[in-house]
Order: sequence, then C-alpha cells, then structure tokens
Amino acid sequence: MAETHTVQPGDRAIAYLTLTPSAAVLLLLVAVPTITVIGISLQDVGFGEMSGPWIGLENFAWALTSRTFWTALKNTFVWVFGSVSLEMMLGLGLALLLNRTFALRGVARAIILAPYLIPTVVAVLVWRYMFHDIVGILNYMLMSVGLISKPMVWLASTSTAMLSVIIVGVWKFFPFVVIALLGILQSIPQEQYEAAEIDGASAFQQFWRITLPHILPVFLLTALLRTIWTFHKFEIIYLLTGGGPLDSTTTLPILVYIKGFADFELGRAAAIALITFFILVVLLAVYFGFMKRAEARQ
Amino acid sequence: MARVEIRNVGKIFGNYKAVDDVSLTIEDGEFVVLLGPSGCGKSTLLRMVAGLELPTFGDIVIGETVATRLRPKDRNIAMVFQNYALYPHLTLYENIAFPLRVAGRRGDEVDKKVRWAAGLVGIEHLLARKPRQTSGGERQRTALARSLVRDPALFLLDEPLSNLDAKLRHSARDELRTFQERVGMTALYVTHDQVEAMGLGDRVVVMQGGRVRQVGTPEEIYLYPADTFVATFIGTPPMNLIDMPGEVLGVRPENLMPVSFFGQESGLRRMTMLVSRIEFLGSDKLIYGALDDPFGQAKVIARLPSSVPADIREGERAHFAVREHELRSFDPQTGLARPAPIPQRASVASHG
Repeated sequence: MAETHTVQPGDRAIAYLTLTPSAAVLLLLVAVPTITVIGISLQDVGFGEMSGPWIGLENFAWALTSRTFWTALKNTFVWVFGSVSLEMMLGLGLALLLNRTFALRGVARAIILAPYLIPTVVAVLVWRYMFHDIVGILNYMLMSVGLISKPMVWLASTSTAMLSVIIVGVWKFFPFVVIALLGILQSIPQEQYEAAEIDGASAFQQFWRITLPHILPVFLLTALLRTIWTFHKFEIIYLLTGGGPLDSTTTLPILVYIKGFADFELGRAAAIALITFFILVVLLAVYFGFMKRAEARQ
Repeated sequence: MARVEIRNVGKIFGNYKAVDDVSLTIEDGEFVVLLGPSGCGKSTLLRMVAGLELPTFGDIVIGETVATRLRPKDRNIAMVFQNYALYPHLTLYENIAFPLRVAGRRGDEVDKKVRWAAGLVGIEHLLARKPRQTSGGERQRTALARSLVRDPALFLLDEPLSNLDAKLRHSARDELRTFQERVGMTALYVTHDQVEAMGLGDRVVVMQGGRVRQVGTPEEIYLYPADTFVATFIGTPPMNLIDMPGEVLGVRPENLMPVSFFGQESGLRRMTMLVSRIEFLGSDKLIYGALDDPFGQAKVIARLPSSVPADIREGERAHFAVREHELRSFDPQTGLARPAPIPQRASVASHG
C-alpha cells in the first residue's frame, strides 16, 4: 500500500475507472440525444421514424429562409426582452422596498415569493380565467374603472397575446429576481449608508453611488440567467396560447414543438432546435465569461 | 472646530434604557474618549451626537446650534466607523473625494483637498488603489482622510483602531494623537479599550449601564476612581477591593509592595499575604494571594517591578504594605468613593 501521496502508476487507471460511471451517464443523457438530433437535422424524417433520406443542410436552409422561423425568432426576442426587462425592474423595485424595515416585513417577503412556488400549470389556468373575455376579472376591472369600453380578447388577439403571455411570465418569475437582489442588498454594510448620510448624500445619491455599484454584478448575472431561462421557456406560452393566434406567440421552442409534433417534420424541428441551441450556447458563454471575471475580482 | 454640549440625553429602545440621562461638555479642541464595556451605551451616545439615532429625551448642542433634530449632514460632523465604511468599488482617491462630490464640488478644488487630506495621513502613494488592495491600517487612514476633507466642526470616531492588530494599533494610536494635536480637532472617541482611552483622551468618560460613572483626566480616573466599577474597570490587573467592616478598601496592585521596599517610611498600612502564585511577566511580577486578618482573607494581586528584590515564595506568607494616602475607600452600599486621602477613615468608619 502506498503510504505517501506521490502518484503511483496505477492511480491514473483507478481515477479513470471511478470516473467512468458518471461519464457514462453524462454521455447517455447529453451526448447521445445531441448527436441523435444532429443526425435527424440532416435527414428528412417524418413522425414515428428515426431516420429518413439524407438531405445535408437542407433543413437549415429551409429554416433560415422561411418566414415562420424568422417570425419565431423575432417573437422569441420580444418575449425574452419584454419578460426579462420587466422582471428586472419589478424585482429591483420590490427588493429595494423589502430591504427596508417595516412591520410584517417577513410576511411580505413570503407573499412575494408565492408566484414562484405555484406550479406553472396551476398559474396558467388561473391566469386564463382572469384573461377570459366574458368572465375574466381583468376585463371586469378595466371596464369598471373606464379604461376600456368593451371586453378585450387578451389571448386570442394578435395585438395583445404576446403582452398577455409576458405578463404571466413576469408575474411567475419576478420573485426569483427579488430573492437574488434582496440577498445582495442585505450584504451592503449599513455603515456605508450611515457614512454617506453624514457626508450629505441624498437618497438618490446613496442609491446611485452605493447601492447600484454594489448590486450591479449580481443584477447583470441575474438578468443573464433569466434571459437564458426565458429563452427556452416552453410551458407558459404553450399552455396559454399554444403559440397563436396566427403565430403571434410562437417562439423558437414552440416552433420546434409544432414542427415536430403537429407538422410531423422532425428533421426541420431538429434543425430549429439546433439553431436555438447555438444561440443559447453563445449566451452561456457570455454567462461563464462573466462568472469568471466576477470570481477573479473576488 | 466647536464646543459640544450633551444635555440630559437619554435613549430608550422599547423598555431598555441604552443611555440614561447623560450630560457632558466637550470643549473646543478637546479629545474626549467614551470608555466602557460593550452594551454600556457609549456607541449609542456617539450615534446620537452624529444624528444617526434620535435621542428619546435631552438635547445636543454643537457650536451655537441645537442639533438634536438636525440631519447628520447638517451637523458639520465627520465620523470614522469601526469598519471604516469605505466604498469597495471606489479607489481610495474617490473614497476620500466622496463627501466633496456629493456636495457638488468639482475639479481642482476636489483634487487639492483630497491630496491635502491624503498627505496628512500619509497615503498619497495609494490613492489609485481600491480598498481591498490595502492593509487595515491604510484603510483606517483613508477613513480618517475622508472625514477630514469637509473641515468638520467635530470628529466622531467609533472604535477606529479595534480592527488593527496589536502592534499596528499602538502606532496608529500615536499617529492619531499627533494628528489630532496638529489639526486641533474636537473629537469624541468611543472605545472599550482602556489603554486606548488613557493614551488618547484629554478626558475620559467612563460609562456603564447607560450612565456616566466618571469624567476626568486619565490620571484622575486612575488615581481617584469615583466608584468601585471604575476602580475595577480601569487598570490591569484591576484595583484590589478589600471588604472591611463599614468600608471597601481599594489598593492598586502596584501600590501593594513588600514591607522591605518602604525602608523606614511611616504612614504605612501593613498587610500579610499568603502567596498562592507568582507570575513572571518580564518587567513585572504578579503576586496572587489572600490577606490575613484583619483583611478577611481578601484575594489580592500585587504587581512588583522585577527589579525590586523580594524574598517571596509560593505557599508562604509575606509581609506587604501600602502607603495610607494611596489607599482608597468606598461606601460598601453605594460603591461610591469616599473623600481621599485616607487619614480621616477612622471617623468615617465609626458612622457605619
């Protein structure tokens, strides 16, 4: 038996041997599906089949020249930008509010988190009721204060469907932003505000010169993370509108689903999925670059 | 610079009296130290002077102005915090410039002031660094420089040396005092460290349980403690307290010496001690033991310069003495000091 810590000839083999099970699982769960999708994207595959005639990059060419794809890409950006920017603003505002001392602060913090904890399906069903043109509370309230004169068809109109979907998404996920920002806000030493107070800094100056620089790295990181997660969000949109009306809420993940399981064009679905994957990889690279820089700064 | 008057100030949190009816005057250019154990109310008092806490009652006058309800920025004060409260994302330069920037000053004036303040505390060469790239001592000086740039009437310092290591604290204390004399600043300084308090303060305010126990120069507080709390809080080891019928006798360890040390001197109070332990501390020896009657087996500590020859052994009796005028007497009920020196003791004791 080796009593010292020097590397023995057999160590390397043992290391590889002990790593093999997890490597195999990873390979099975990540590499195999990815390679399969790449394979499918290069073939003309219909529903129920695993292969078809090889057609090279034709599926990609189709995607990049089809109006449906570009609409979905545009929708995805509207959905992501709309959701994330609103989540970040709402989250920051509420985190700042919850960071102050007031009666029942603990209760308020718990209530704020509720949307994040409610299962998506439940949330979507409740929101569909609220959006309903006849029995929905949203129309009822807007009409009773006189903001609209006749009921609006929120989810079934091309002009309001995306907005409605974004509202639900923001409602569901802003608590995540609140938690992240509240954590960093609480780490700012109170003394810094007191020192600023003595130095004569106004409330805005304190926010601008102390709070903001302090929370900025976490703020940007949270925004990036939310961007990635929102980008491939599927169930909220699918359950609310199914991508309609008239493709107005069809984002890339929805399009992949429609192409694959409604139009039975698995090859094209795979191509779109891979393009989506590529965009996400770029975003992830930005994220990891950011993390690395943040760690280096510590 | 300005005179500060604290008039019957108190602070009550819920049903806890943090500061209880404190009155104190800090003269123009004076360095006053608030000293006490943690929870004695010294920091709360300082924060009320700063305007970070509102007094429950009483008034604070800075210069000619009743400042009790003024916002901190309107009091013309500067404060150095225990953790320095430097802004981590700003360079030392910008940290020092901060008070000027928020006041809307620009350009040359800011630069001149920052360099002047940095020069005073000797950190000109570090101005481009961020706080995390500097040592504890350099941060402390930066905080000091930041407090200087606004020409405040009053400096408030909340344990500014407590985060430094022992060696650095010693030199920082010396620098701070030299600096205070040069700038002529009026300062209120909070610490729980008696060495710091004695070394820095023109006057020391000893606090306990939210109340002021004694205000005086370091000498007054050490030689004539106002009560048994001050007597035992100041001095290491603390003053020996000996319970006697009708009084509590106080003896500083360094005044309790072997009889042989006094030679033919008169006016001595002799005490015999059963020595239990001797500690050698280099320049001094600490001798632990219990006094024989009539001192009721009181446990005492004597502090003997190592240079004084003495034939004292653990487990044996030794003869000690104290000069009568170095003995202090306290009321056993109230703990308050009776007028020193001692010679009238007999007449006081006969009342008790």
